[in-house]
Amino acid sequence: MKLELGLIHVTDVQFGPESKIEGSVVYLNEEEIKKIVLEDETIKSVKLDIARPGESVRITPVKDVVEPRVKVEGRGGVFPGWTHKVDTVGEGKTNVLKGMAVVTTGKIVGFQEGVIDMVGEGAKYTPFSKTVNLVLDIEPVEGLKQHEYEKAVRLANLKVSTAIGELARNITPDEVKVYEHDTIMEGIKKYPDLPRVGYVLMLQSQGLLHDTYVYGVDAKQTLTTMIMPTEIFDGAIVSGNCVSACDKNPTYIHENNPVVEELFAQHGKTLNFVGVIITNENVYLADKMRSSDWSAKLCKYLGLDGVIISQEGFGNPDTDLIMNCKKIEAEGVKTVLITDEYAGQDGASQSLADADVAADAVVTGGNANVVVHLPKLDKVIGHIEYVDTIAGGWSGSLQPDGSIIAELQVITSSTNEQGFGKLSAR
Amino acid sequence: MTIVTNNPDVKSKYEDDHTVVFVEGGYKDVLVKVRDLVHEGHQLLTHPLMGSLKPNETPYRSIAVSAQKGPVDTDSVILISESIETFDKFAKIVRPDRGTNTPERLLADFRLIDLTLISSAVDFH
Amino acid sequence: MYKIVHYINQFYAGIGGEDHADVPPAKMAEIPAVSKAFNAAFKGEAEIVATIYCGDSYFAENTDKALNEICEMIKAENPDMVIAGPAFNAGRYGFAAGNVAAAVKAQLGIPTLTGMYEENPGTDYKSKTIIVPTKNSAAGMRDAVAKMAPLALKLAKGEELGPYYVEGYMYTGIRKNLFEEERGAKRAVDMMLKKLAGEPFITEFPMPNFDRVAPNPPVADITKAKIALCTSGGIVPKGNPDHIESSSASHYGKYDIEGVQYLTSETYQTAHGGYDPVYANEDPNRVLPVDVMRDLEREGKIGSLHRYFYATVGNGTAVANAKKFAAEYAQELKADGVDAVILTST
Repeated sequence: MKLELGLIHVTDVQFGPESKIEGSVVYLNEEEIKKIVLEDETIKSVKLDIARPGESVRITPVKDVVEPRVKVEGRGGVFPGWTHKVDTVGEGKTNVLKGMAVVTTGKIVGFQEGVIDMVGEGAKYTPFSKTVNLVLDIEPVEGLKQHEYEKAVRLANLKVSTAIGELARNITPDEVKVYEHDTIMEGIKKYPDLPRVGYVLMLQSQGLLHDTYVYGVDAKQTLTTMIMPTEIFDGAIVSGNCVSACDKNPTYIHENNPVVEELFAQHGKTLNFVGVIITNENVYLADKMRSSDWSAKLCKYLGLDGVIISQEGFGNPDTDLIMNCKKIEAEGVKTVLITDEYAGQDGASQSLADADVAADAVVTGGNANVVVHLPKLDKVIGHIEYVDTIAGGWSGSLQPDGSIIAELQVITSSTNEQGFGKLSAR
Repeated sequence: MTIVTNNPDVKSKYEDDHTVVFVEGGYKDVLVKVRDLVHEGHQLLTHPLMGSLKPNETPYRSIAVSAQKGPVDTDSVILISESIETFDKFAKIVRPDRGTNTPERLLADFRLIDLTLISSAVDFH
Repeated sequence: MYKIVHYINQFYAGIGGEDHADVPPAKMAEIPAVSKAFNAAFKGEAEIVATIYCGDSYFAENTDKALNEICEMIKAENPDMVIAGPAFNAGRYGFAAGNVAAAVKAQLGIPTLTGMYEENPGTDYKSKTIIVPTKNSAAGMRDAVAKMAPLALKLAKGEELGPYYVEGYMYTGIRKNLFEEERGAKRAVDMMLKKLAGEPFITEFPMPNFDRVAPNPPVADITKAKIALCTSGGIVPKGNPDHIESSSASHYGKYDIEGVQYLTSETYQTAHGGYDPVYANEDPNRVLPVDVMRDLEREGKIGSLHRYFYATVGNGTAVANAKKFAAEYAQELKADGVDAVILTST
């Protein structure tokens, strides 16, 4: 399976009379974008804004972040199950608007979370301070239930991102990256002497505001299965998760799954990248048993020598992580885990809710309890009053001078557990 | 299935079809009640720390345990004990607007999240 | 020039060994050789301005009092940092050095550093002070000074130390955030390649230290079982014939209780330091329940009580030593046909 990602480097996004891409600038007709969002009759209004790296802008509360892409060759379309049919994706050519993102904000529940600062201390921790962000601030019609609102906001972002991606359909990319995934037989023949390495990708799947979708299917109702790594690049995995800003995986990070990228980078050189296993993180303990049993079974069946296991979220998923680790190690398959930590503000507490000696190789995204002081920024997109009630913030977080004192966990993707960032802890 | 909860919305949704043990108290009181039931031989069915809301953020907690008592289940004992330890770790960081101090305007949303999380386990089993 | 105070035990102060371990804390008139070795390593950037010593037994038996006195003496010197030890594998010295370093840091807010062997029970303080791993005997002094002196200088200057695996101190368990050169996913793949190749790698999050023992299957028929008593509570025949140390025990004793119905204060005592021995000495059955075991034996609830019990002192005894003792006498217990053991502590 071969996928070519054509990267179009975007340096700016501007509103203009006509939606188009010229050079490295994406021009958007504001009314066209609004119309796409307002097709959904559960949405009352939408405000658009653009936030650029280095600007004195804070976006909060962030629901999801998506990177616009378009399938230009091969089966299906991006975000299968949502904005395109469920045709299998992952093959052919896909153009990517690299350097921009579509960010959704809106008050789904009162304690919603997620801060993106485009400048200053907070900007160091979020990857989305480096992208030009089109922000959709979405307000629902009166009386809309939270789960319907969440779905409306999720869909609005996917639709807008798909439409913006379409602008890049006929653009010649600035850079092409080729990802070729061998079948099991090909891999064995081509690289008989390289270690066989896989990736167990854990998906948050606990309930409202904690869900992930694979080809449109709610991951909590799935058995552990396999997905081709290139399918992930075409938006096969979509986030419906908006709790725990620091360590949830926004759709953008799924589309750019860093573990998949790094394993591809080593494929055929130091290792044979055999495949990706997706498994869920359910609330029900029997589900956890079954899902982790299946992860281990698939690892064994694939004859893997090692797997990287990435996590999403806090607490309950620590149990899934450790179960996966123990069972996979018990099959003689070596594991490296990626997690983050809640070690208390002073770093002195036990970091994970579960632990085991089998977990002897761990990469961490850092301690999410660390307190950060974010300066007052000139402009706020979204709703600053929620800073007091986002995860990791507390009454008094918003200082009289407009600055924010809060835990690192308020910052979107600051301690990402797919290893997207450089933050760590010792 | 027995559901231990301090969330009135969970009680009203499930009390007709399941045994609901309603706890007058906080998140920790629910954990402690579940610990007692586990020590009596009930088995944990859902993870006590479900959800990404930290224990010092949401005031509500619902946990499902087996209706039947059997021999004490060691895994359940360990999991509930570890969960209580984790709770205590977070409880040290007091938030004026969170946990037990959550203002009225946020309570309904916290109840809803708790309800949907436990429903994701109860409704499918 | 930065000012440093050095804490050592009576041995390095030149007062004497075990026989002089009961001396209370005092400041030395002139700094001893070990302090001079540090001064040489500081190359004029810092100087040990005072050396304070205390007998290890005195410290173990009067910990709070000794700590207060030592802290007062250190405070009076107003140093930039404090070095304690190195204590190598001396358990009670390690306990004192760790304790002093932790207390000075917590109470006086002065940075501290100590050094000891990784199995020294004093390493329990590694989350409360910086501990440099040393060799297990004083033969490693030169090496210990060479490792400790640069860290001591950094601390004296008020500099933040780098991570433990760069600076060479023991893992503290206190988590600190930092930015890496590479993103997490790349680090994970690199770690995987090392793990697969069997090369050494450093986990970014060491799991808590587990020392779990899988339980044995239950005793099939307790009414037929021969049961032995073992204790780390220091119960020994009156007079402590084997001279088991009150802390950091180097050996254990094996004692015949054939025909003994219960332990009396006339015939048994505890050798254990570090806890108030009054109740144990008054009725040693409180620690080693021979009385209850004889009752159970008579009532037919157990088969029999084994003829010998084994005892040592758990106070500051290195885990490695404790394991060694048990491994030895477990063989004897097996050979004697013992079915089960009740282990008691204090």
